[in-house]
Amino acid sequence: MDFEMERFISALIDRSPPHALVHLQLVLIPVIVAFLIAFPVAVLLTRRRFMKYTDRVMTIFNMGQTIPPLAIIAIFFPFLGLGREPALFALTIYALLPIARNTLAGLKGVPQEVKEAARGVGMSELEMLTRVEIPLSMPVVMAGIKISVVLTSGTAALGALVGGGGMGAVIFAGIDFFRAELIVAGTLIIGAIAIVLDRILSLIDSILTPPHMKV
Amino acid sequence: MIILDQVDKVFPGQNIPAVKQVSFQVDEGNICVFVGPSGCGKTTILRMINRLIEPTSGDIYIKGQKVSDKEVNPDQLRREIGYVIQQIGLLPHRTVEQNVALVPRLLKWPEDKIKPRVRELIDMVGLDPDEVTHKYPFQLSGGMMQRVGVARALAADPPIMLMDEPFGAVDPIVRGRLQDEFLRLQKEMKKTICFVTHDINEAIKMGDHIVIMNKGELVQHGTPMEILSEPANDFVKDLIGVDREMKLLDLTRSSEVVNRDKAVPDQVRENDCFISALDPVQRALETMMKKDSDIVGVRDGEEEIGIICWDDLKKLINKLSGDA
Repeated sequence: MDFEMERFISALIDRSPPHALVHLQLVLIPVIVAFLIAFPVAVLLTRRRFMKYTDRVMTIFNMGQTIPPLAIIAIFFPFLGLGREPALFALTIYALLPIARNTLAGLKGVPQEVKEAARGVGMSELEMLTRVEIPLSMPVVMAGIKISVVLTSGTAALGALVGGGGMGAVIFAGIDFFRAELIVAGTLIIGAIAIVLDRILSLIDSILTPPHMKV
Repeated sequence: MIILDQVDKVFPGQNIPAVKQVSFQVDEGNICVFVGPSGCGKTTILRMINRLIEPTSGDIYIKGQKVSDKEVNPDQLRREIGYVIQQIGLLPHRTVEQNVALVPRLLKWPEDKIKPRVRELIDMVGLDPDEVTHKYPFQLSGGMMQRVGVARALAADPPIMLMDEPFGAVDPIVRGRLQDEFLRLQKEMKKTICFVTHDINEAIKMGDHIVIMNKGELVQHGTPMEILSEPANDFVKDLIGVDREMKLLDLTRSSEVVNRDKAVPDQVRENDCFISALDPVQRALETMMKKDSDIVGVRDGEEEIGIICWDDLKKLINKLSGDA
């Protein structure tokens, strides 16, 4: 395979941007949906009434990450068919675990004496959750979201295999037509997407992190 | 004010009760100190009063109201009871101002009432409001954090305070100072206070009333003087320690012992061998040793009211300790 600079730049500038936008959707939508599912579920699992379900629920999340996204698409193929939707669905399931696991860890890491004092001054369970537990666990939760974002950025390339589009389309075209330029350009842009999203999340993180936890 | 009536607590999965058939009463405006070794149930009792723990059986009343009544909301109850713990538990992500304002905000006080109250409280516990209000807990020393903890408990002016080893996490010098300042505050506040400690000296110093606990049972209760002069059994004697007599001297005011009929000898005046009538008798003993004298003069303000002799002290000790 030879490498021509002109083709490479054309792949990067002309061919990739529409795919990059699709790819961005393939990352953001699953992570946001995964957050909306995993975060409340993990919060519930730290409540006394639901604690006993922790192991069972986490097993389901673990399975979501161990089963390859392509297998999930295959399993749900009869219902969802091919295209954007099954790709989003598979990626969402894939993104659940880090967020759920870190939310659990973050909430459990809130110092006991702080919770004790908060209860002692008469905070209700909801007030404790929103004013003490969630703010104090935010750095760990954000770390989970970042892991999900980076994982999903890479995995989303597989979305192209089922007609979901994204940067995977560029890479697989490169593989099919023996064009190294396309493969490198696709990979670079996926990396860039992951890095940029990670930076943006770090910024949000630094706003949400309580002052005493900042390094 | 606070009444416990045959309260039992057995924690789930344990055979031995943490608290066994404990009954007593704390009078309004008093400091009642629970003292005993670790695991004696003193903290459990405290946490049952504000319903952080529910008793297995028995009743607890605050101002005649049963705290376990269905219409009492535990969160509301706790907002009306100041709570200070050894680990302080300031919210690390909130400033000192926000920490102190916690309960008033939960009670939905108007903001323009909260700000001045917070400053007043911070000043009251001996901190500079301008300096600390905007700091975070991690920027404070242990002693300062504990003061903020006390300020937070006092914020909504609760009639009752529960304090679980509130000065346990600071060094002895700071602890002594915090104790003194707290007693001075209490003279004005007249709160009803339940205070937990494992340190008998702290109990004697802080308590109007002492409850001695061991293995979940109430062993003895009474004023510090009653406990010291008539320990109920060997456990209490051991707890008080070998310097029981010295502690008794520390609890007796010189004005109670002073011999008012005898004039102050010139020799005492030359050596400036005087103590104040308000000083504990122990001060008389210290002064005797320091000045190498058998007699100290006692002054009430500027007026010389009499003397205390070495023999008076010996008699007092024998009388108090009941060994005579």
